[in-house]
Amino acid sequence: MPDPKRPEFTSEQLAEVRRLQGLYPDKRGALLPVLHLAQDAFGYISLDVERYVGTLFDLSPAHVHEVVTFYTLFFQQPKGRHIVSVCHNLSCHLLGAKDIIQHMKERLGVEPGETTPDGKVTFLTVECLCACEQAPMMQVDDRYEGLLTTEKVDRILGGLA
Amino acid sequence: MAEKILSRNFDVRDSHTLGVYRDAGGYKGWEKARGMEPAALTEEVKKSNLRGLGGAGFPTGVKWGFIPKGSTAPKYLVVNADEGEPGTFKDRYILERDPHALIEGMMIAARAIDSRLGYVYIRGEYVQPWRIFSAALKEAYDAGLLGLSVPGGGFDIVVHRGAGAYICGEETGLISSLEGKKGWPKVKPPFPAVKGAFGQPTIVNNVETLACLPHILTRGAEWFAGLGTKTQGGTRLYSVSGHVVRPGVVEAPVSVTLRQLIYEHCGGIRGGRALKAVVPGGSSAAILTPDEIDIPMDVDGPKSKGSMIGSAGVIVMDDTVSIPDALMVVARFYAHESCGQCTPCRESTGWIYKMAHRIVEGKGRKEDLDTILDVAKRGAGTTICAFYDGAVGPYISYIEKFREEFEALIRSGAHA
Amino acid sequence: MPKVTINGKEIEVPAGTNLIEAARAAGVEVPHYCYHPGLSIAGQCRLCMVDIDKVPRPQIACNTQAADGMVVETETPRVKDTRRSMMEFHLINHPLDCPVCDQAGECWLQIYYMKHGLYDPRMTDEKVHKPKAVPLGPHVMLDAERCILCSRCVRFCDEITGTGELGIFQRGDHSEIGLFPGTALENLYSGNVIDICPVGALTDRDFRFQVRVWYLDTTRSLCNGCARGCNVEIHTNRERMHHNQGKRVARLKPRYNAEVNQWWICDLGRYGFRWIDDDSRLTSPSVKADGQLVETTWEDALGVLAEALGRYRPEEIGVLASPQMSNEDLWTLRRVLDGLGVANRDFAVPPREPGEDDKLLLRADKNPNTRGAELLGLGPGAGGLDAGGILDAAAEKKVKLLWVLHHDLINSGFAASRVTAALAGAELLVFQGTNASLTSARAGLVLPAAAYAEYDGTFTNFQGRVQRFRAAMTPLGGALPHWHILSRLRSRVPRLATVADAALAAERPEQVFTALVGAVPAFAGMSYRGLGDTGQLVKA
Repeated sequence: MPDPKRPEFTSEQLAEVRRLQGLYPDKRGALLPVLHLAQDAFGYISLDVERYVGTLFDLSPAHVHEVVTFYTLFFQQPKGRHIVSVCHNLSCHLLGAKDIIQHMKERLGVEPGETTPDGKVTFLTVECLCACEQAPMMQVDDRYEGLLTTEKVDRILGGLA
Repeated sequence: MAEKILSRNFDVRDSHTLGVYRDAGGYKGWEKARGMEPAALTEEVKKSNLRGLGGAGFPTGVKWGFIPKGSTAPKYLVVNADEGEPGTFKDRYILERDPHALIEGMMIAARAIDSRLGYVYIRGEYVQPWRIFSAALKEAYDAGLLGLSVPGGGFDIVVHRGAGAYICGEETGLISSLEGKKGWPKVKPPFPAVKGAFGQPTIVNNVETLACLPHILTRGAEWFAGLGTKTQGGTRLYSVSGHVVRPGVVEAPVSVTLRQLIYEHCGGIRGGRALKAVVPGGSSAAILTPDEIDIPMDVDGPKSKGSMIGSAGVIVMDDTVSIPDALMVVARFYAHESCGQCTPCRESTGWIYKMAHRIVEGKGRKEDLDTILDVAKRGAGTTICAFYDGAVGPYISYIEKFREEFEALIRSGAHA
Repeated sequence: MPKVTINGKEIEVPAGTNLIEAARAAGVEVPHYCYHPGLSIAGQCRLCMVDIDKVPRPQIACNTQAADGMVVETETPRVKDTRRSMMEFHLINHPLDCPVCDQAGECWLQIYYMKHGLYDPRMTDEKVHKPKAVPLGPHVMLDAERCILCSRCVRFCDEITGTGELGIFQRGDHSEIGLFPGTALENLYSGNVIDICPVGALTDRDFRFQVRVWYLDTTRSLCNGCARGCNVEIHTNRERMHHNQGKRVARLKPRYNAEVNQWWICDLGRYGFRWIDDDSRLTSPSVKADGQLVETTWEDALGVLAEALGRYRPEEIGVLASPQMSNEDLWTLRRVLDGLGVANRDFAVPPREPGEDDKLLLRADKNPNTRGAELLGLGPGAGGLDAGGILDAAAEKKVKLLWVLHHDLINSGFAASRVTAALAGAELLVFQGTNASLTSARAGLVLPAAAYAEYDGTFTNFQGRVQRFRAAMTPLGGALPHWHILSRLRSRVPRLATVADAALAAERPEQVFTALVGAVPAFAGMSYRGLGDTGQLVKA
């Protein structure tokens, strides 16, 4: 994985940046897509990545930092190999999210917002993921897992490499 | 059982593919629309009484008409797929199970507003829906349905992923985010139809709203209007969750009552318990009590009880629920999602959460309730966008309708 | 032009005027934080709400343009109650720092709370905590807790300087003004964010904890740092020398002038007043005796100069006037030199480092009155030598009396050897200026001049704009304004005594100005009253 302290896109990635910028009348519109690209490429969005991305958009680093700190899906610290986000909003709360979260804390040994010491899981509590019909639910990387019970949670965590 | 229209493809295998969509009659609405003049298209949609299904409930045809006549500026059709209202999940179903309905709806709307370029803003957490929709988009391009080379003008669609912020579901917050900035809603005027994304005339429509268009075109505006009530046409997708036996997406004409949704469509309260309270339109809608559920679930029904239909996200609470606890959860949500741009919302959402949390922790003070109510009322209607008004819905209704429960908790100093 | 009615008073305003400005034109104040006439509209603070007839809810005035027939009320019970609400919202997380905050006394939270708030606070929960006392750059200190997130500073750095150093990070009540980590607020206009910050979030490091603002007097004046002549207020601490380390000038603030500097001033000008109260100020006339400068009286000092002026022939006298001097100073000098027939005179001494104009306010010429010196004819007279020529003539002992006003020749753009030769060659070096320098140390006669901030006068800026500056305090020690020193020569130099010249007889600078107005066509028709607070352009 490229070094987030000395970030530089490959020529293919740069071509993708240009392509994305071309999809908007003002290239700044591509900032969020490019930040997603950068996060995938460098693992997380460090200050150096912010500065680098700023140069691709003629944006001051402060204005890139504004965007990165505003959105919850941009990680400014290294994250675990897996991100597990448990919803704690209303419907999930009504259907036992609190117990699921408590169980996760005990199983993982970390508080929400933290990463397990072995680097496997970043555990988050999040607002509504809009899968309330499956409450209580969580997002594991790219997929939603719902109708959670403590047993199901254990199974899912156990299946993470 | 009423006819499934919007959800007719949801349980069909491979419904997200072009072939299956076409077999079910897909893209016939577009065939009709492309032969119509934009003004006629807009009139048809006005006649259908289609209302925005994202939350604001504004008449869709009227909104399209706000684009300045004779404007030669590029016009953008922006789809609000930043579904985020707690209790709502129906747009996700469309993206995953019927993405071509959205594409076809976009093509129809684009013709009506003379747009050549549409953006679909999908919330960042919706990774699977994004992948499925993107694949459907590729199919549409490969089939020659999209692309500027399409005869008759042509239309391009760009998918834009969000990055985690509920406020990007607000029309101009979404536009700011699309422009590569923080999702700060914009001061209005100017309104998006006049000066929106990238400074150009822009129409922002919800996913489901657009998915209605193919049906309006194929079966007629009058038919669509006739399905509903006097002020709102058609069916809509209700997201029902919470303490019901069968949570899920329920399609029904907008004349359906809340009681019918809970007890007929969703099997009533689980475990045979009693209903204590229900949120009719996403967490921003004022809560309703069991004696208030005999209302049609259109734009006027919940309004008649001081609430709103909003995103039609129905959250059902049984008698095990502590309303102060529910308020704490909801207050936490608004404090977390406030964008921070304007003072009343930024400062009071955090403070009200602190008070709500204190109450649940058994450290509430008797003046807290009136403080929350007064602060909420003072902020309502003063902010840049309606986010704060959405927060005020629960702040005020939970306390006013369940005041006794709050006071008892404060008195006892402990969670019941 | 649309006609609007504000609190019952009908006025006409240019199309596009927002309601805050329309109200201002009607003499009505609409309280606000985030609005600033020099910046884009933010609409964030929500304090400027007003009631508009036929509009159901109060609207923000900053983003509402006056429309013909609009009827606006700014003092209805509903507007007043809304303001009280907004004051409460602003103060929910604001720290009670007043006792230790420099902004106290000129803080818009304080001012508007006393006018529009006056409610009983009921926020008893823990406030949000953010970084305090964070230096952002050489001049600006940030206290993020005090910040009301009006975004004026962010917009300033984006729209005025184009440097974009500041941003608002995160969201909700954790929103925080700041720099990108590892950067600094180093643009040359950074101090302006202190002015536009309505509260004590951005404060002046130079002014920090020096003196309470209610002890300050304010005087309308000008910056003398370059040829633009930005309009300023000089804020002085005149009575409490235990504050501000005994210095009289506490700070400069820009004064609005649409044609010169708008609302802004550069940092060099803002902080370029230290010399006024510096220990290097010359406060007593001095004469060199046995290689040492010895203090003496004005009587004696002027006597030495007068005697030299009478003894030397005009071609043996060389005068280096300064574009630091006022129009009045320069005109009095011109009359003296004309009366004496001295043609070897100039004002242009090259600086050691050449400056550069920038796109905003800064001018390459670091003198406030070069245009004045040109127009008033302080360049060489007929057959006279220019500055370089004067130096070389002094080195050759052809110029025997070298009269230097202000210039530290040793630190100028003239070659060091050339200057040394000139200073060594002159029989009498007279230095007349405000601060001691390497050059003044070599003088045989030192005449202490008052700083421009210590008397009234005018400068002519690069645009040809004649602007007034006013005395913010009395001259330090025995220093006297240049024009006064020069006019006192009249009675002592026989050749001058016969010259009937209003300038040389002046007892007030205004009289000198009247005299030069009558004699120099470019200034025709001007008067102090006519110049007012914004100045007037010279005639082409």
